[in-house]
Amino acid sequence: MATITLDNVEKKFGEAYAVKPLNMTINSGEFVVLLGPSGCGKTTTLRMISGLEAVTAGSIRFDDRDVTWLHPSQRDIAFVFQFFALYSHMTARQNIAFPLQAAGLSKTEVTRRVDDVAALLRIRHLLDTRPGSLSGGDQQRVALARALVRQPAAFLMDEPLGALDAEFRETMRAEIKRLHIQQNATTVYVTHDQIEAMAMGDKIVIMSRAEVQQAGTPAEVYYDPSNLFVARFIGSPGMNLIEGAYSSGTMLLPGGNTYTVPDAWRKALEMSLPDSGKVILGFRPEAVVVSPEGALNSVVYADDLHGGYSMLHLELPDSSIVHARVGREFSFPIGAPLQFDVDPQMVRFFNPVTEKAIRLNGGEA
Amino acid sequence: MSQATTGAAAPQVTPYRAAGRRHLSDRQILLLFILPTMILLICMNLIPLIYSLFLSFTEYSVISGTPPAWVGLDNYTQILTSADFWANFATTGRFAILSVVLETAVGFGLALLLRYKFRGSGIITTLILVPMMLSPIVVATFWKLIFNPSYGIFNYLIGFTNPNTAPEWLGRSDLAMWAIVIVDTWMWSPFVMLLCLAGLSAIPDYLYEAASIDRASAWFQFRRITLPQVMPLLLIAVLFRTIEAFKQFDLVMGLTGGGLGTETVSVRLYRLAFQGQFDTGMSSALAYIILVVIIAISNLLIRALNRVREG
Repeated sequence: MATITLDNVEKKFGEAYAVKPLNMTINSGEFVVLLGPSGCGKTTTLRMISGLEAVTAGSIRFDDRDVTWLHPSQRDIAFVFQFFALYSHMTARQNIAFPLQAAGLSKTEVTRRVDDVAALLRIRHLLDTRPGSLSGGDQQRVALARALVRQPAAFLMDEPLGALDAEFRETMRAEIKRLHIQQNATTVYVTHDQIEAMAMGDKIVIMSRAEVQQAGTPAEVYYDPSNLFVARFIGSPGMNLIEGAYSSGTMLLPGGNTYTVPDAWRKALEMSLPDSGKVILGFRPEAVVVSPEGALNSVVYADDLHGGYSMLHLELPDSSIVHARVGREFSFPIGAPLQFDVDPQMVRFFNPVTEKAIRLNGGEA
Repeated sequence: MSQATTGAAAPQVTPYRAAGRRHLSDRQILLLFILPTMILLICMNLIPLIYSLFLSFTEYSVISGTPPAWVGLDNYTQILTSADFWANFATTGRFAILSVVLETAVGFGLALLLRYKFRGSGIITTLILVPMMLSPIVVATFWKLIFNPSYGIFNYLIGFTNPNTAPEWLGRSDLAMWAIVIVDTWMWSPFVMLLCLAGLSAIPDYLYEAASIDRASAWFQFRRITLPQVMPLLLIAVLFRTIEAFKQFDLVMGLTGGGLGTETVSVRLYRLAFQGQFDTGMSSALAYIILVVIIAISNLLIRALNRVREG
């Protein structure tokens, strides 16, 4: 298994950047998810790693091997496509055997390895079926088997679950993760589904507008988003963001609410804020603590029961909406006034001008 | 279809005027659409077909004025035991194999070349299709001029610049068949190309991407992806061309008139039926034999096609 290093890799179509110069290291055995909205450059990045797309500048290394200008076939990678890319005129067995036959392996060796990988993915009973008569999940299992059978240096997956229905997606997500743990294979996985990314990735690289917004563990990008885009994009719903004016330990929010900034943050805010004191307060829905003594006033706008919990939509005095995640035993009549506080451990602040997060030490992310 | 038609028309017609028509049931409308075609088919195709089957068992000539005389299987026995007729079948078979093989190779090759768009590929494709749209008699007439040993351009193009030593394509029994094959290939390769292009453009790019990642060589990709994916359409092209080749008549008549070892069964049939004695009984029998042969070959090809499709 290889370590993949991208060094100032970029892709331009004419004058427009599909991917701005990008640096990234994917360690051997790591499961890295490229996450972002459509058109953000994540698939282009993956295709450059695979060699299906040529870079316009920069270099790509697998361990110490420079593969920047190598043909996909020379890079020793496996690629799983969104629409499976199975050969429709071949049976599942022939599909899985294809890379081995292309490499010229002996018949008995091919049979042995196909049987092994089919057993691993539990598709032995499907081997004589053609892709056309398989379900979406089974087609993707066959595609995974074709990728796994060669034991390549890295697995590249381009939204492999995107074409599956919700039920299969859950199952396959677990299967891919289990396979990764068993094989300990370097994997780069592209998706636009942040839940998938959070569930599967050792590391998540969030992209938008052709550049990396943040790279980190799922917990890091969730609890410490480095900018407003990540704060909004990760989580469903995303982080609550309220712009206000800071002055000497309190923040005046629109509509008249006053928020007392936790002591730990005061120094950081005073160090990094512009003179106007404008700052964005951010907190996750689960950071909301409903209590009669709460400092922030709101009115219940809507209350959705999500099974295990309730999602409250709270209308602030300036009629902006804040989401709050509370236990399902709480039920609030619509229109009722409600006070709440924010867990001081889970508060984050952003500079409204640079859109970047303010760190506790006073710097910006 | 019929339901949609009535459904759409009904609201526009006032109840009074519609009184006479609204009793037409869907089934009646269905029949109204189908019957004219059925009647034409029965009169023009089915009745002549059955009548000629009857004639094939008789001794009869349309110009003799005597009624058909039943002779049983005599016509068939005579044809099938005559070396003459077998020679016609052999000529037709040779022509069919040569022309279909060449057309498939040239057509598929052209399709591979024109598969990816480049500047002017659209106009080139259209130009290549022109021969197919011409009338065979026109094609034959032009090629007769092209093949002419004194002033034709064909010999010049293949390097024979001296008219005295240049081969006479339509005057030598060893070349006449090839001349017809060349013209047929020129005319019908575009047809094979068209079907192959349709097949090629239906192959998704990601199959090649997957294959190149799977480390398949260009030849391996061609053999394992391109060929099998195009095969159904290629076989349809071959099916059409084979049937047409067995019926080959106009190019032969236009180029050699059926002489110099180019007398195909269709030409023989024409001569038998409409020249000399107008041997209608015998020619009906020959026509039926050709029909059976073509149906048999078509069935073989259709079976191959279904095998390719279903695996």
